[in-house]
Amino acid sequence: MSEGFWNRFLVPPAVWLLVLFAFPICLVLALSFGYVDDLGRAVYATDLDNYADAFDPTYLPVMVRSVLYAVATAVLCLLIGYPIAYFIARFGGRYRYALIAALVLPFFVNYLVRTYAWVALLSDEGLVNNALIDVGITNDPIQIINTPWAVIGGLTYGYLVFMILPIYASLERMDPAVIEAGKDLYGNRLQTFLHVTLPQTRQGILAGSVLVFLPAVGDFVAAQLLGGPDTYMVGNLIQDQFFAGNNWPFGAALTVVMMLFLSIFMFGYLRSAARESRAAL
Amino acid sequence: MSAFDRPRFLRVYVAFAYLFLFAPILVVVLFSFNSIKSLQNFEGFSLRWYEEFLDDPTLRESLFASLEIAVLTMVAGTVLGTMLAIGLVRSRARWSGSANVLMLIPLVVPEIVAGISALLIFSQIGIQLSILTVILAHITFSISYVAIVVRARLATMGTEAEEAAMDLGATRWQAVRMVLLPGLWPAIVAAGLLVFALSFDDFVLSFFTTGEDVQPLPVRIWSAIRFGISPTINAIGTLMMVVSITAIGLALLIPRLFGRRESGVKVLTGQEGG
Amino acid sequence: MSLVDESFSRRRLLQAGAGTALAAYGLGGLAGCTVSRSVDRSAEGKIIVPEIDGDLLIYNWAQYMDPAIKKGFAEHYGVEVNEVNYDNLEAMVIKLRSGAQYDLIFPSSEYVFRLRNEGLLAQFDRSLLRNSDNVAPFYDSPWYDPDSEFSMPYAYYTTGIAWRDDEVTGMTGSWNDLSNPDGAGRMFILDDFQEAIGEANLINGFDLNTTDPDEIETSKETLLDQKENARGFSTNSVQNLVNGTAVLHQAWNGDIVNVRNQVDNPENYRYETCTEGVPVGTDAMSIPINARSPGTALLFMDWILTPDNAFKNVNWNGYPQPCEGGKQAFAKLAKDEPSINVDLDELANGEEYRLDDPEARQLWTETFTEVKAG
Repeated sequence: MSEGFWNRFLVPPAVWLLVLFAFPICLVLALSFGYVDDLGRAVYATDLDNYADAFDPTYLPVMVRSVLYAVATAVLCLLIGYPIAYFIARFGGRYRYALIAALVLPFFVNYLVRTYAWVALLSDEGLVNNALIDVGITNDPIQIINTPWAVIGGLTYGYLVFMILPIYASLERMDPAVIEAGKDLYGNRLQTFLHVTLPQTRQGILAGSVLVFLPAVGDFVAAQLLGGPDTYMVGNLIQDQFFAGNNWPFGAALTVVMMLFLSIFMFGYLRSAARESRAAL
Repeated sequence: MSAFDRPRFLRVYVAFAYLFLFAPILVVVLFSFNSIKSLQNFEGFSLRWYEEFLDDPTLRESLFASLEIAVLTMVAGTVLGTMLAIGLVRSRARWSGSANVLMLIPLVVPEIVAGISALLIFSQIGIQLSILTVILAHITFSISYVAIVVRARLATMGTEAEEAAMDLGATRWQAVRMVLLPGLWPAIVAAGLLVFALSFDDFVLSFFTTGEDVQPLPVRIWSAIRFGISPTINAIGTLMMVVSITAIGLALLIPRLFGRRESGVKVLTGQEGG
Repeated sequence: MSLVDESFSRRRLLQAGAGTALAAYGLGGLAGCTVSRSVDRSAEGKIIVPEIDGDLLIYNWAQYMDPAIKKGFAEHYGVEVNEVNYDNLEAMVIKLRSGAQYDLIFPSSEYVFRLRNEGLLAQFDRSLLRNSDNVAPFYDSPWYDPDSEFSMPYAYYTTGIAWRDDEVTGMTGSWNDLSNPDGAGRMFILDDFQEAIGEANLINGFDLNTTDPDEIETSKETLLDQKENARGFSTNSVQNLVNGTAVLHQAWNGDIVNVRNQVDNPENYRYETCTEGVPVGTDAMSIPINARSPGTALLFMDWILTPDNAFKNVNWNGYPQPCEGGKQAFAKLAKDEPSINVDLDELANGEEYRLDDPEARQLWTETFTEVKAG
C-alpha cells in the first residue's frame, strides 16, 4: 500500500484539529499576554502582568484549593472504586459485562443532572436531612450543601467511573494463576493483595487517578452548585473572567497556568505508561 | 481458599456501592413523576412536569437542538475520526506521530480549556455564537473518541483481506470501501453512538459556545438549576437519560447484531478480537 | 496495546513545545489587535417604530417579570416570547458586546448611560408609544438618557437587607446586620460587584461610589469579614429565601413581596433599609442595536407600561413602576410594608451607583474577584 494513499486519510482530520483545536489553544496562550482596554475589550500584547497576578497570594490559594479537592476526589474514587473493580474482575464471572454496563449507565446521565440530584438530596430540606431528622439524629437540618465536602462528594460521584474502568481493565489482564501462586506464597489474602495484585494493577490505578484528577481540577460545576463562598475553584475563577469579570486575558493566563500544571502530570503518566508497555514486551 | 472465593463483605460493599451510584438518579426519576411541586415528599404519580416541559416552546426547541447537534456531531465525528484512525494505523509518514499526539490531547484537556479555546477562535474569526458553533466545537472534541475506538479495532485487523481483494483486481479505494470499512463497521457504529451520547449530554463545551436564541438542553438545565430546583428539571433530566442510555445501550448491543459474539463493552474499551 | 507507545518520546515533546512557542510568537504579531467582537450595528441611526417584526427574546433578571404579562403579549400579538436570564449586569454587557442578539434588555441607569455611549442601544421615538404619557415626568429627561430615546423606565428600587424574623433576631437597621450570628452560614451577599462593595463602603462611611484605592481596600477587608458569615454570593434572593437556603440576604426591596407571594408564612419575611445609606436606582428597558426584532421589543415596552399590566406586574414582583397602574399597585403594597417604600424624590436625591471611570470600574471588579477568591 503506497504511502500517499494512507496519508490522505490523515489530512482532513488533522487539518480540522489544527484549525479548531491546536490553533485556538495557541490563541489562548497569546491572549494570556494581553490586557483589557478602556472599552473593556481584550487586546493582545506581550505583558506578563496576568501571570504575575495568577501567582498573586490572592489567587494562588484558589489553585491550591482546586488541586487539593482534586486529590481528595482521586483518593476517594480510588478507595471506593478499587473494591468494585476488584469484585467485578475476580468474581463477576458471567455477569461481568452486565455489571460493567450497569456501572457505566449512570455515567450517561447528564453530569449536571447527576450533580443536581445531589443538590436536591443534600439541601437543607432535602431527603438526607429529612431522613436525619426523622431518625432523630438531629432536630435542625445540618448544612451539608455549600461545604467543601459536598463539592468533593459531587466530584467523586461525577468521576468515579473513570477510576473504576482502568483498574478493572488492568485487573482483567492479570493472570489468575499469578494470584494463586501468590496465595501459595504468602498464604494470606491481605498479603497476596498487597504484594501481588496491587502492584500489577499499578498502571490501572495511575490511569484512573489521572483520568479523575485532571478534569476535577478544572471543574466548576460542582463548586457552583454544591459549594459555598469558600470553595471557589480555579474553574470558577476562570469562568468568572470570561462571563462576569470581563477579563479574558487574565482568564487565559489562568487557563495556561492550569494547563501547564496538569500537563506535567499528564506527561509523567504517559511516559510511565510507555515505559510499562515497553517493559512488557 | 473457600472464604476467599465467597467474599461476603465485598459483595455487600459492592451492592451498597451500586446503590450509591444509582440512588440519586432513581430519586431524580421518581420525583419527576411527583404530583406536587416538591422534591422531598412524593405524593402521587403525575405527568404534569413532562407536560410542562413539552409545552414550553423554549425547552422543546432546546431538546430538538440538542438532538440535532448530537446527530450532526455523530456523523461528522465518525467520518473524521475513522479517517484519522485509518491514517494513524496505516500511514508511515513521519508526521503521523505528531498527528497521534494531536489526537490524544483533546482527550486530556479539561473541558473548560476546550470551551475557552473554542470561544476564542469563534470570536476571532468573527462567527456569531449559535448552534453552528456548538456543533463545530462538539465535532472537534469527538474526533479523538472515535479515532481511539476505531483504531483499537483496526489494530487487530491485518491487511491480508484487503491485499487479497486487490489481488483479485480491486483498486485500493475499492478494497477500503468493500473490505476495510465493513470490517470496521461495528467499531464505527459503536463510536458514533458513544459520540452521540457524549454530545447530547455535553455541558461545559456547549456553555461556552452557545448562542442566545436556541440553547442545548444541558445549558437550559444549568440556568434552571441556578435559579432554583423544581421537578421540571427532573423531568428534563429523566428524558435526557432515556435518550443517552438508549444510545449507549445500542452501542453496546450493536456488535451482537452484527453477528459477532463479542460484547460491545469490549469494542468500546478496545480490547482486541472477540 | 497501550495507545501511547512511542509517541511521547522526549524529542516529540520538544518538537511540540517548540511548535507551540513558535506559533505563539507568531501570534505575538497580533499584539495590539483586539479580540474581535461582532456586534451588528447596521441599525445605527435608525429610529425604531413599534410594530411586530419577529418573535421576542427578552434578557432579564430572573423572577423579575410576571409570566402572565409575557403570555398576554404572546397571545395578543401572536408571537413567541422567550426569556433568558443573567446573573448580573456586567455579565449581560459582556454577552452583548460579544455579539449576542437580544431584543429587550433591562439595564440599570448607569448601564444605560454606558451602553448608550458605546452605541450599543437602538434609538426610538417615545411619542409613538401609547403609554409614554403615563410615565412619571421624572423620566422625561433622566440623567442617563436626556432625551429619553434609548430607554423607558421599568422599575426603581432600593437595596437593603431581607431576613426571616422567625430565624433571625436582633436586627438593628444597619448594614452590619449582615454579620448577625443568627444568620451565620445562611446569609447571602449579592453577587454584584457594585452592590457588594457598595454596602461595605457605606458601612465604612465612604462615598458609595468611591474610587480611592485605600478605601476600596478597606471595604474589601470588610467584605472578607462578612464572607465568614456568608453561605454564598447570589442575586437569586427570591429563590434563596423561598426555599430556606437563606435566612438573611442582601436584597432589593421588591424581592420581599415576591417572596411573600410564594411562601406559607409571609409574615415572617421582612425587609429593612439601612441607616448608613440606601442605594437607589432605576432599572430601565432598552433595545440593543443588534436586536433581531426591535419593533416587537418596542411594542412590548408599550405593553408593560399599560396601566393594567403595570398593576399586575407590580403585584407580582413587588417593585414600584413609575407609571399609571404601577403607582397605585405599589402604593398599596407600601402601605402594608412601609420598609419597601421608595418615592421619586428619593430617587432624584438618593445615591445611585455610578462608576464612570473605566479604570475605577476595573479596580472594583478586580477587588470583587479577590473577595470571591479570598
